[in-house]
Amino acid sequence: MTVVLCTCDGERWLPEMLQSLSAQDRLPDELIVNDDASSDGSVGLIEAFAETAPFPVHLQQNAERFGSTANFGSALARSSGRVVALADQDDVWYPNKLDLILAEFEKDPTISMVFSDADLIDEAGRNLQRRLWDTRLVGRTLRLHPVVPEEMLARRALTTGCTMAIRRRVVDAALPFPDLLNDPRGIMRHDRWLSLVAAAVGTVRSLSEPLVGFRVHPAQETGVLLPRQLATALGQAVFGVTRNPSAAEEHEVRASQLAAAAGRADLVGDFKEAATLRQVADHQLARSQVGRSGHGPLSVLRAAAGGAYRGDPLSSAAFAADLLRSTRLRARALAPELLRADPTPARGPEQEPSLR
Amino acid sequence: MTVRPINVLMANDSLAAGGAERVAVDLANSLDPQTHRIRFCSTRSGGPLAADLRSGIELDVLGRTSTWDLARLAKFARLVNETETDIIHTHGRGTMKFVALARALHLIRAKHVFHDHFAAGALQQHASIDLRIPMQRHVDAYLGVDARLCSWACETAGMDPARTFLTRSGVDLDRFTRATRIDLRARFGLAPDRFIIAKIANFRPQKDHPTLFRAIAELPDDVRSRLTVVAVGSTTADADYFASCMGMVEQLGIGDCLEVFGESDDAPGVLAGADAALLSSKNETGPLVVLEYMASSLPFVATDTGEITHAVRDLGVGFVPTPRDHLALADALTTLVRMDPEGRAAMGREGRRVAEEEFDQRLVTRSVEQIYEWVLGLRSEPDLLQHAGA
Repeated sequence: MTVVLCTCDGERWLPEMLQSLSAQDRLPDELIVNDDASSDGSVGLIEAFAETAPFPVHLQQNAERFGSTANFGSALARSSGRVVALADQDDVWYPNKLDLILAEFEKDPTISMVFSDADLIDEAGRNLQRRLWDTRLVGRTLRLHPVVPEEMLARRALTTGCTMAIRRRVVDAALPFPDLLNDPRGIMRHDRWLSLVAAAVGTVRSLSEPLVGFRVHPAQETGVLLPRQLATALGQAVFGVTRNPSAAEEHEVRASQLAAAAGRADLVGDFKEAATLRQVADHQLARSQVGRSGHGPLSVLRAAAGGAYRGDPLSSAAFAADLLRSTRLRARALAPELLRADPTPARGPEQEPSLR
Repeated sequence: MTVRPINVLMANDSLAAGGAERVAVDLANSLDPQTHRIRFCSTRSGGPLAADLRSGIELDVLGRTSTWDLARLAKFARLVNETETDIIHTHGRGTMKFVALARALHLIRAKHVFHDHFAAGALQQHASIDLRIPMQRHVDAYLGVDARLCSWACETAGMDPARTFLTRSGVDLDRFTRATRIDLRARFGLAPDRFIIAKIANFRPQKDHPTLFRAIAELPDDVRSRLTVVAVGSTTADADYFASCMGMVEQLGIGDCLEVFGESDDAPGVLAGADAALLSSKNETGPLVVLEYMASSLPFVATDTGEITHAVRDLGVGFVPTPRDHLALADALTTLVRMDPEGRAAMGREGRRVAEEEFDQRLVTRSVEQIYEWVLGLRSEPDLLQHAGA
């Protein structure tokens, strides 16, 4: 088993993180560290740790900053374990984490990824008595679905890198990361990409037990929402999407990313799973058309009836947003058409966008 | 006092060439005809295995279209009642639910033994209500072909462990002893020095042909230049999957190593014409076909999935790589092909010996007969089988 750790100016948290790796009941066989051009003492800390660590530590320093997604891609390419666990510099792993995760992989050779819940901790390491899944509104969904359907993972981000471990099959299928992950219209982080590919080439298993202390602090890349912020954020998401002109573009990019993951599944022969991802990609593409001719409220309702928005509260929020957007944009689009002497014929249903 | 034979109705979805269907037919054929009167009911459709039923076993094909096909349900109930059936032994989950519905509606009173072979079932984390209720209320004995299936039945589906039994599949050895060899070299125009490995598996995703194809692409030249895999199994059961597989074969450029035989109900004949056998499934509960390889005295490579593979993996009768790992599969194939012929033959002989001693169909049938007696209250405890978790 390999642990892959990406660091960048993390000297404040690294000692606790590294200590928690050394304290695992089941030690990793290697630790791959990619430091992303830190300007603080991170590299020195890692080098000192490597001298006493109970496993080999392979450090690579980037001369210039890659960004976390590209950095993880590079680190994964250097890993050799049959199972690879991802680590963030600011978290604390519980001692049973690797042991429990490996046991899940051993139970079933078709499992491609295992991820767990996490306790939220503050900057001082105190438990905030909140769980990561709940702050992402996915706790109920994941507790109901310990084997997470690929469709669910395709529809939205359910996983966080530091709670994930993937089988070599996933690493091989996911690398190299496609350039379109960095499309500014819809950036996809490494953990979302890996979970998509994992869902496409095997079975994804969630463990409801928290195996990580997930630190909440202002400098972190992956944010969490505390209770009071959640409802506001949800409301803002729905109404923001209806006004956001780039929402359509984001859906288009997401569709391309899903299609790319489907392509990776095809390469290893997981054809059915690839087809499922393509269906979700088609839905994303349809979402990008919402409000345009032929994509009014009825098409949103039809998609919802077909289960395209099924899943969790955020999926319901997406449905609400699309419905609002379809009504609002459609009303806006119809007005000028009434004034036009020779209106352009509406696109028929046979011209539904499709990736295939 | 004259004791009449136990009337057994063996019931399955169909008689297509498949593992569960083969178990049902072999069981029906091997039940003691002195003490059992056997009838076979295919609730959906017939199939090629109908020809393998021994003479004297009557076959009814109902043609049901769903669990709720009430017209067929009434017909089935009439059949059960008119033939004074004591035991209905079901094999598919669809047929199990059909029979449970007949019992729930008080159309029949026969005892119900459910023999579960569901391949993906070993990995199931849930049991839907349309499985839980029929199993808990209308199955008198649950026979799981895999320990994981038995665990699922008890822990997830709520079956009473006292009514749940691990029942490893067996193989009718005589079918393989008297097999008529199919000349695969002649059929596919292969040179005499080609090393032929037969893979008996319908083209379905669970059988994971793509991992085999990727493994073939990784084989060293000296192995690849000698090897022909003959794929035996339905190409129409999942036509899209088959088409995608063929696309992958072309893409990988391994067409020279693969011949597609198509569906066959003559596994013994095909295996008699092969030098070795192969299974690359990602998950199985049996898999019965490994017993057929052993009964044919063939060395094999079979991925480590299912009760039978687990039972024989350390016995030196074949190579058992991790499922879904094309490199491990390529390594195993390479070792097998490079072995000296005598080593392979010895491995095959050992496989046959293990099949005879541990997996003879007659042994399995005796244990199933005990279950029937136990369910009917004619015996206090079936001592040839273990309760789940025992």
